[in-house]
Amino acid sequence: MSAAGQTHRLAAGGLIDRDNRLSFSFDGKSMDGFAGDTLASALVANGVKLVGRSFKYHRPRGILTAGSEEPNALVELRTGARREPNTRATTIELYDGLVSASQNRWPSLSFDFLSINQLASPIFVAGFYYKTFMWPSALWEKFYEPLIRRAAGLGRAADKSDPDHYEKAWAHCDVLIAGSGPTGLAAALAAGRAGARVILCEEDNRLGGRLLSDGGTIDGIDAAAWVAKAEAELRSMPEVRIMTHTTLTGAFDHGVHAALERVNDHVPVPPEHQPRQRVWRIVARRTVVAAGALERPIVFGGNDMPGVMLSSAVRTYINRYAATPAKRLALFTNNDDGWKTVEAALAAGVTVAGVVDARAEVSAEQRALAAKHGFAVLNGVVDHVEGGKAGVAKIVAALAGGARATLEADGLAVSGGWNPSVGLTSQHRGRPKWRDDIAAFVPDGAPPGMIAAGSANGEFSLAACLMEGHSSGAAAAGDLGFSKSAGNTPVSDEDAAYSLKPVWTVNSKHKAFVDFQNDVTASDIALAAREGFQSVEHLKRYTTLGMATDQGKNSNVQGLAIMAELTGRSIPETGTTIYRPPYVPIAIGALAGHHRDENFHSTRLTPSHHWAAERGAVFVDTGLWKRAQWYPIKREKDWLVSVTREVKAVRSGVGFCDVSTLGKIDVHGPDAGTFLDRVYINTFSNLAVGKARYGIMLREDGIVYDDGTTSRLAEDHYFLTTTTAKAGQVMQHLEFCRQVLFPELDVQLTSVSDQWAQFSIAGPKTRDLLRDIVDPSEDLSNEGFPFMGAREVMLRGGVKARLFRISFSGEMAFEISVPTRFGDALVRNLMIAGEKYGVTPYGTEALGVMRIEKGHVAGPELNGTTTAADLGLGKMMSTKKDFIGRSMAGREALVADDRQVVVGIKPVDKARRLRSGAHIIPKGATPGPETDDGYVTSVCFSPFMDQWIGLGLVKHGRERHGEIAMAHDPVRREDYEVELCNPVFYDPEGGRQRG
Amino acid sequence: MRIACPFCGPRENGEFSYLGDAKPKRPAPDAGQDAFYDYVYLRDNVAGEMEELWYHGGGCRSWLKVRRNTVTHEIFSVEPVAGAGAQKVAS
Amino acid sequence: MVELSVELSWAETTPLSRIYAAGRQGAKEHDAGLTMAEQTGFELVQVMARRGQWSATDQACKEAYGASAPAKPHAVVAQGALLVWSGPDQFLVLSPRGDGLERARLAFAGMASLSEQSDGRSLLRISGARSRDLLAKVCSLDLHPAVFPQWAAAATSIDHTSVNLWRSTDRDGEAVFHLLVFATFAESLWHTLLDSGAEYGVAIDAPGAWQA
Repeated sequence: MSAAGQTHRLAAGGLIDRDNRLSFSFDGKSMDGFAGDTLASALVANGVKLVGRSFKYHRPRGILTAGSEEPNALVELRTGARREPNTRATTIELYDGLVSASQNRWPSLSFDFLSINQLASPIFVAGFYYKTFMWPSALWEKFYEPLIRRAAGLGRAADKSDPDHYEKAWAHCDVLIAGSGPTGLAAALAAGRAGARVILCEEDNRLGGRLLSDGGTIDGIDAAAWVAKAEAELRSMPEVRIMTHTTLTGAFDHGVHAALERVNDHVPVPPEHQPRQRVWRIVARRTVVAAGALERPIVFGGNDMPGVMLSSAVRTYINRYAATPAKRLALFTNNDDGWKTVEAALAAGVTVAGVVDARAEVSAEQRALAAKHGFAVLNGVVDHVEGGKAGVAKIVAALAGGARATLEADGLAVSGGWNPSVGLTSQHRGRPKWRDDIAAFVPDGAPPGMIAAGSANGEFSLAACLMEGHSSGAAAAGDLGFSKSAGNTPVSDEDAAYSLKPVWTVNSKHKAFVDFQNDVTASDIALAAREGFQSVEHLKRYTTLGMATDQGKNSNVQGLAIMAELTGRSIPETGTTIYRPPYVPIAIGALAGHHRDENFHSTRLTPSHHWAAERGAVFVDTGLWKRAQWYPIKREKDWLVSVTREVKAVRSGVGFCDVSTLGKIDVHGPDAGTFLDRVYINTFSNLAVGKARYGIMLREDGIVYDDGTTSRLAEDHYFLTTTTAKAGQVMQHLEFCRQVLFPELDVQLTSVSDQWAQFSIAGPKTRDLLRDIVDPSEDLSNEGFPFMGAREVMLRGGVKARLFRISFSGEMAFEISVPTRFGDALVRNLMIAGEKYGVTPYGTEALGVMRIEKGHVAGPELNGTTTAADLGLGKMMSTKKDFIGRSMAGREALVADDRQVVVGIKPVDKARRLRSGAHIIPKGATPGPETDDGYVTSVCFSPFMDQWIGLGLVKHGRERHGEIAMAHDPVRREDYEVELCNPVFYDPEGGRQRG
Repeated sequence: MRIACPFCGPRENGEFSYLGDAKPKRPAPDAGQDAFYDYVYLRDNVAGEMEELWYHGGGCRSWLKVRRNTVTHEIFSVEPVAGAGAQKVAS
Repeated sequence: MVELSVELSWAETTPLSRIYAAGRQGAKEHDAGLTMAEQTGFELVQVMARRGQWSATDQACKEAYGASAPAKPHAVVAQGALLVWSGPDQFLVLSPRGDGLERARLAFAGMASLSEQSDGRSLLRISGARSRDLLAKVCSLDLHPAVFPQWAAAATSIDHTSVNLWRSTDRDGEAVFHLLVFATFAESLWHTLLDSGAEYGVAIDAPGAWQA
């Protein structure tokens, strides 16, 4: 039945579909497996033992486990853009056409050049990064780092963008259960029957946990049949949700959990429209951790050799996958559970070469079994194994009496006992407690609402798991008031003995590994102890023990035990390191979910966006907004040409710009004026209805926070604008003022940012254009609509609008607001009506040029360090009222006369480009902190001045107009003369905007 | 983390913004610079229970007083500030 | 005065009208698990009670709309309008395009502050067997029928942006959700919803006037 290559496939048994043959490749070699296999089980079936090279010494490694804790069998899965490095072969469900490759080897797995590192192993000891590459430092960048980078790391990331989709989702439940072994199934049944909303997360592709490998009898039926029955009952409950392929990876505050669902990792390409993986945030009122326990290795010589495998994994491969890791198997155990593997092997027809049992006594049944099958039971430990990259050949045991014995075998199953999975229960900095009887850490309390049950709680027998699972599921539901019957507790009479004798390490002359993935040996831990790195946290950092992708699941306890022995402390005294999420590795792509590329963040579009896009506008991201930066027309060779044209068109005719991105807030209520007086430095309560005023807000520390124009539309209604960047923050600040600081004021706030499409129309022909848009009955004359006027007007065609006579450009200008639904129509109407005036749309660049020419401050000057006085706006500060920031703005340092204040700056050489960030120093001075007078904040090419100009913040700037100073730009290595001048380059008298 | 907004119910922390200690009260306008200095800059750094201001900007836009253990993140109470909603508040 | 030489056209747009395409999106091999539509033709007014005026506002609401103003997160079907809770002592009045703003002004004069938001929001309708699965990908709320029954409402966030969400009357045994989102954010959210719902198959209805 089995294929030619499947030399280690058993003739019968296993949860595989022998009618569904799948072909796959490993390192370019084609092989066959069956549906139901993992990549690891298929490799086992094909007799593959060597699957990778270790991280530091490039030692040959095989498969150690059968689960997500696998430290050795990491492969590159798939090819091209979908290539995924460091994927655990033990978790990859086999599919037809799967392509995988070993990693961390060159040029090939069986001949690896860097395995020479083993010969140099004396220099790769604990702390070698700190000791070896220290000196000379000049060698770091050119020599040490490239060397380490080539040698270190594991697989290669894909060099193309991942074509697959990932997403995130929320789920909510009453009782969340992690794991669907006997404990988890019993808990889910109990909670579900009681009426609770249950989510059952299972990392594997099917329910059952260890029952799939160990079998047994529950409620009088075979375990597999019981699992099927339990699953059917759970699926019949509408409030129970079963999530397979889903690992619970984190437990956060207040019942929030993270889980990773591998939706489509078991197919080569996810079906169209489906994600590859999904990260869940699960909000649960109660959590039952039924995550089981992990078997631990024993540290002996050559314990990392291919063919050495955890005993429970051997059992899994034989029973679940009908694939045997060895033809002639030996066992090294210190407990009864290991013997189950011998029984499984014998039942499958695998020859057992012998058992090395660390305990002085084994049971009569075990002796009888050995006698019946003719294998030796040796009392002692394995000193080392011999063999090579092809795998184990000989097992050399050190017997209790001091003698040595050798077993010939091509596989060694190892059981050092079991560690409950205490990761989830300890993630809130809880430290697990030590239980001597099982020589393992068990949960000691858990985050509120969470409880561990079954093996995860140190109860290893099937009977106890079922009982504890049932009772914790029932208790969780009962706590929440679900009172329906939880039904009967599933029972099993399998209350197997465990009787473990702790053995952590064997004093062998051969290299013995504690952390397989990071190549930490027993002698590394001894070195750390000698050098004083005895605290577990130091031990971890110094040796890198437990810092690999398995996060010490296979190594930490042995490492602690060795350190405890070396330092004469007990294991609980030695303690554990802190457990942190995630419990298993999660790809960054899964954490990003939908938020990548154009969906990196949500976007906001202005009312004129589609029109601007039609015209070929270039857009710039401003916060979440896409804003038109400039509107290139044919044959314009670069942005500066376009921007200059736009500025000239405005200054000589008329142009318009979408300013809908400004934050807009309705301030209502009888106390609205008083409220604004307290948040702005200037007074608004005396603003006449129909008028606008420029205002400045300070932070309470006296520094400028935001600015904008606020209009009074009615006695109890102001319309406030903020800068684009600060819109959200100002809203929050104003709500703070309203609710926390001044709750006695009767004022209401609403953001109306999206209600209005707002355009600035600027230039000497603005009024001409507006007269074609606005109803003829509206008086737009200087008398009828003076500078800083603000009122509702009717447009031709019957659309109501708001008109504000305000100017940011220094030109005669209005801002016009229409309800957003008319925004698109308004720009099109402006273009049609403005054709005869040469109307020109302009973008944020031209807007910036004109504000710099006019000396208006903006973001680069409102930079969180400047006062109103620094910006030349100190006179706006009212002395007749309290306002936020008033007191602190008067601090000595904020009113000192050598503060950097806004000044105009232009290069003396008119052909020279001025750059933002250049420092201003006195002419002839040596650049340095003591001669630094300030810096250039904003620059532009000014069509009006026909040269580059800028604004800057410079000490004594106002008294230095006309002075020639130096611009010192160490980043661009430039030094050039500049003239300090009045920041208002354009129309300093202001006649144009008032005309 | 989840905060039970008294108006909206329990919500994930992404809907909230943290301000900090709720204890400092804005001094009277004539209290002088020292009082304002304390108000603006001086904060207790409590490891344990403290009352904090949080803003439910991603929900009902109410400012809330949250009594929370800064070490365990246990939340003991969540109340609206005086000016949340429309009740009249004496000056 | 210059004679006007061109006619102005005031064609209205909706927040989605420039990208909207009715029909099927996403998976097509099975019946659409989702039905979505932009709802148009509504008026929306934010009502915020002034200090000490909530009872008066509530009373005025009863008189003008025949229903109590919503004092907790739910939506109230009233005469000619839907009243949607939006925060403490504040709510939204949603009504078909007409005299909604004027009616609210008359009803609440002097006791509540009003801001018109008819253009400031986009209104989406989401229904179908997979509507909760779709919303679970963007919304952190528990929308289980026992927790979020018909006419429950919430002010919450999607993609870090505020939304109002409520559940209206079921249709064909399936929940119907309405989502009010900022108008300038609507296209972005629409794309996200279509991407997230693609695996279920989305039937996009022609945009239709909103009805309570």
